[in-house]
Amino acid sequence: MRSWLLVLLFCCSGIATAGESSGFGQIAIPSPVKPTTADSCVEPVEVMRREHMHFLLHQRDETVIDGDRGSRHSLTGCMDCHNPATAEPVVRYEDPEHFCAECHAYTGVKIDCFECHADRGLEQTGQSRRDDQPAWRAERNRLTAMSLQQRLEHSRGE
Amino acid sequence: MANELDKIEVKPARRQFLRGAAALASVALAPGLLLYQARPAGANVDSGVRWGLLIDANALSEDDVDACVSACQREHGWRAEDGSATDAQWVRKVKLRDRASGHTRFLPVMCQHCEHPPCVDVCPTGASFKRADGIVLVNKHTCIGCRYCMMACPYKARSFIHEVLKDQLPVAPRGKGTVESCTLCVHRVDRDGADAVPACAEAVNRAGRQAIWFGDLNDPASGISQALREFGATRLRADMGLNPGVGYRGL
Repeated sequence: MRSWLLVLLFCCSGIATAGESSGFGQIAIPSPVKPTTADSCVEPVEVMRREHMHFLLHQRDETVIDGDRGSRHSLTGCMDCHNPATAEPVVRYEDPEHFCAECHAYTGVKIDCFECHADRGLEQTGQSRRDDQPAWRAERNRLTAMSLQQRLEHSRGE
Repeated sequence: MANELDKIEVKPARRQFLRGAAALASVALAPGLLLYQARPAGANVDSGVRWGLLIDANALSEDDVDACVSACQREHGWRAEDGSATDAQWVRKVKLRDRASGHTRFLPVMCQHCEHPPCVDVCPTGASFKRADGIVLVNKHTCIGCRYCMMACPYKARSFIHEVLKDQLPVAPRGKGTVESCTLCVHRVDRDGADAVPACAEAVNRAGRQAIWFGDLNDPASGISQALREFGATRLRADMGLNPGVGYRGL
């Protein structure tokens, strides 16, 4: 399935390149604004581009069923950096400039994450920030110590 | 009362079969390529504990129960829109009135986090489930909104979301077409463990007056177990043998 998707991706990128060179396809390739609040993403950018959906799919069961609230791959974590509560003006997933929407619109991907989940980081009253949570810190440190290959295997549940 | 469900014995032959099925749960197609992998039990959820609540009906005034409801609304971002029958109701204010004497009291009634939850039995997708630590939840990723669980629940604890929602809180994702109910403030429980205080308890407990206890029912030294030993508790509809994790003192 994955390799099939990759082939499809390669084909799509080929079409996009062909479109650019021949003067058709005036749609700009999205380049979402990177947050300035963190030095780096939880994974290298090229890994996130290809794997973020697998990270999130795996993490959602870990959180809902196993109660793991300290995962480094959490949608809340994405939004805390990429669409923080302090962002002005407020950007929604429906807006084309939303961090997630920019690429999903370009690739024609329809997701329903934000029908339930908050599409922006929100300060929760009475809640501690994620970085105040010992479990989250410990998990982050453990995973940072792993190699990239180990982390990918971990997030795929292997 | 002895629990009916505890009397059901799993016969050895069936047990053997189940054990074999568990071994087959991980099916390897080739080295490193699995058709299906059995997930290990959650490392974060302790199956040795069972979280529960003890609610002191004697200590709660009508205002206190209102405070429980509004604290839950603030914590999880739900609200009763216009009082219609389809409003979200994670916790309801229930009025008990003794006709003979006119004596009235109010109770907060939420998901009772049963040991044998009927909502889990009837769910066709497994979205309605009981966590290893006894908290009964809806996995909204797999909920198809059929509402069987709402019909099965004898406590009317669950509600269905009919409208498109916006501005949900990060700790409580909720959206149209799924069923929801009290989560026992699971995000607080996962963060603080035995020290967690659910929002409703936080709203009514004051220094020197404990009205709602939260804790591990399996730990005889926990505050809730000691309070249960001292005061006893009534379980709503205990005759059904569901063994709720929520108990009421003074009913």
